[in-house]
Amino acid sequence: MAPHSPGTDQIDTLLLIGFLAAAIVVVAVNVALVAAVRRNRARRGAEPRPVAPDRRRQLRVGTVLTVFAAVVFVVSVVFTDRAREAPVTGPAGLASEKSGLLTIKATGQQWLWRYDYPNGSFSYYKLVVPVDTAVKLELLSTDVVHTWDVPDLSGKRDAVPGKTNKVVFSADEEGVYEGQSASLSGQAYAAMRTAVEVVSPEAYEAFLKQQKADIDAAQDRVVGLIENGEVP
Amino acid sequence: MSDTPRPELVVEGLPGRRRPRWVELATSADHKDLGRILVCGALGFLFIALLEMLLMRLQLAIPENTFLSPVAFNRMLSLYGATAIFLFALPLALGLFYYAAPLQIGARGTALPRLGQIGVGLWVAGATALYAGFLFTPSEAGVNPLAPLTELAFLSNNGVDAWATATGLATLGFVFLAIDLLTTLRVLRAPGMAWRRVPVFAWAATVASWLLLTIGPVLLAALTMLMIDRNYDGIFFADGSGGAPLLWQHLSWIFYSGAYMLILIFAFGAIAEIVSAFSGRPLVNRATIMASLVAIAVLGTLAWMQNMLTAPIGIGWMYFAMLMSLALVVPFGLVVFNLISTMNGGVLRMRAPLLFALGAISSISIGLGAELEHSMVGAAWELKNTTDATAATHFALVGGAVFGGFAALYYWFPKMTGRTMGENLARASFWTMGVGILLAFVPLFLAGSEQGQVIDAYKYFGGTGVSAYNLIASVGALVLAAGIAMTLLNAILSRENGPAAGHDPWGGDSLEWFALSPPEPHNFDVLPDVRSARPMRDIRDAIAHRTAGDDAPARERQPVA
Repeated sequence: MAPHSPGTDQIDTLLLIGFLAAAIVVVAVNVALVAAVRRNRARRGAEPRPVAPDRRRQLRVGTVLTVFAAVVFVVSVVFTDRAREAPVTGPAGLASEKSGLLTIKATGQQWLWRYDYPNGSFSYYKLVVPVDTAVKLELLSTDVVHTWDVPDLSGKRDAVPGKTNKVVFSADEEGVYEGQSASLSGQAYAAMRTAVEVVSPEAYEAFLKQQKADIDAAQDRVVGLIENGEVP
Repeated sequence: MSDTPRPELVVEGLPGRRRPRWVELATSADHKDLGRILVCGALGFLFIALLEMLLMRLQLAIPENTFLSPVAFNRMLSLYGATAIFLFALPLALGLFYYAAPLQIGARGTALPRLGQIGVGLWVAGATALYAGFLFTPSEAGVNPLAPLTELAFLSNNGVDAWATATGLATLGFVFLAIDLLTTLRVLRAPGMAWRRVPVFAWAATVASWLLLTIGPVLLAALTMLMIDRNYDGIFFADGSGGAPLLWQHLSWIFYSGAYMLILIFAFGAIAEIVSAFSGRPLVNRATIMASLVAIAVLGTLAWMQNMLTAPIGIGWMYFAMLMSLALVVPFGLVVFNLISTMNGGVLRMRAPLLFALGAISSISIGLGAELEHSMVGAAWELKNTTDATAATHFALVGGAVFGGFAALYYWFPKMTGRTMGENLARASFWTMGVGILLAFVPLFLAGSEQGQVIDAYKYFGGTGVSAYNLIASVGALVLAAGIAMTLLNAILSRENGPAAGHDPWGGDSLEWFALSPPEPHNFDVLPDVRSARPMRDIRDAIAHRTAGDDAPARERQPVA
């Protein structure tokens, strides 16, 4: 994973901290285990030492563990809260903090993602967004639980039918970011992929216009066909 | 069984007209017979779960493989999850509890034997329902099938019904067994065996039974709602008519989180007995371990929302789940600390039970270390539903149920059969399993955390950087399965032909070693007065003192505490 959004930057740091915490646990336990085995293997004439009460040692170990857990908790809350803050919209961005974030509706359905843009146009599979602009995705589902996951731009979020979930990100570089749905949703789940194409604001505007025009043209054509009686 | 008739035994029927062995077993309400049914059944289903895992790993060995169709893969996945949890891990834990705990507390049987018999019967019925489903259509909805995928609108064949029936029957059986165990542990302890002198494994059985009584009915309620939804036009989990898909997640994750903890509580209970017996000294601080097991049950179950960190729930609930998960560091840490301090200063006999117990601690430490990272909310947003989570869960649960379960099996096998399992095959099995689990799941850690490979998918695409990881994982799964199969083979071979074990092969401290191997139907002819937490050592000392015949005073007993 290569973070390309302020939120994923924070998550990336937290992942590193989490990895270190996990490594501390694993190394401490396993080193102590191997050392205990090496030191105490049965030898001729060896007698087990009697067990002495050790209340204070228990208390000390308990305190160390509590402090460790508390530190991990506080650090996690700090970085998670930073990751949740809406990224600031850049100078070229379309939405300022005043007018709210650029909001796009992402609807999961077996087995496709549909994106609805503010101007009424929509696209399937591929989401097009402007660079350096805070984007808020409203996640919805029309059937089962789907999980929207484009690791470089944001953490995962579930689209649960009947509920609205949201993802906020701001891509810092133009390009295409691949993603995949991450909750078992039926037969074609593994093929339920998505991609976010990050383009310049001008290209984004052009894309929206073009998409809108294409959709309208297609719709007009269908309506025309129906009116002409060519399609029942 | 001894040949001399015992006056207190009532001999039913006529001599020479005993019913066949399998009829005896099938109609028995004796906790040892029922425990053996559960353990043997669980080990059989472990083998089946291995085959299912290997089929899935074969499908995932190369990108965009077409060995299994998507539907076949989803069915394998659903069967594997239900088999591993409901037909292997939980019954193995309960079977060993049910077999050993009454012996450990010096009981002549269980308090409610018919209830236990019904419990085992229900479990057998559940297992039959799951695999009878295989004859028509198994579920395709996954390990914990999230509503509303399980609704009739999305999966209309009867696979989900078979799954719900099977898991429901098995869970009801577990609840009955838990009631019997709990009653037995409360009322049938030998004279003098106060709670503070109860062996740690029997204490673990108590905690596990309370836990099952808490979480079992929650899953049963959820399954009932699911069946109403599917068969009687219910709307509990169906969106659009006032139903709540998230309700299923809450209820089912309460059960699954509790069951996860139950398996670890079972494993640590057995490991504590084994570490103490094979170090030749009592546990450094029994009270801490016993309290920690309770804390694990409570905190671990309260952390159920750790599985829902990407769902639309409030951030406050997410932090609550994280707090509960991270608080688990303290009891788990204290248990492991006390086990290692018990070894330090002991004289370790590196026999198979201890070897597997140490392997279990090591494997669980890797799994729970990774779970630590998964409980950190921000990190979970990236890691959840990736193969990183698969690897973490498998390190913890294969560590607990397979390494820990095998440690318990090697430890109590002599009591169950009168014979010891082969030591050389045990060592070969242990090291093969050790290499196998690392090969099978470390690559999945990397594929999940670096490349974000998602779980439960029947295929992945080439060029996403996960092909090599998956190939290694598939080879590792094969090695792991071979290692596990060696111990299963060892058990089969040793049942009849293993070296005779005697009644107290390991020099254990608890009362099951006072019974014969295998124990008689009534367990004990006489019960000793329990005067310490190590009654069997007291008995050994008394015998040694008497046979020495000198006037030397008996070894000082531990203070009556």
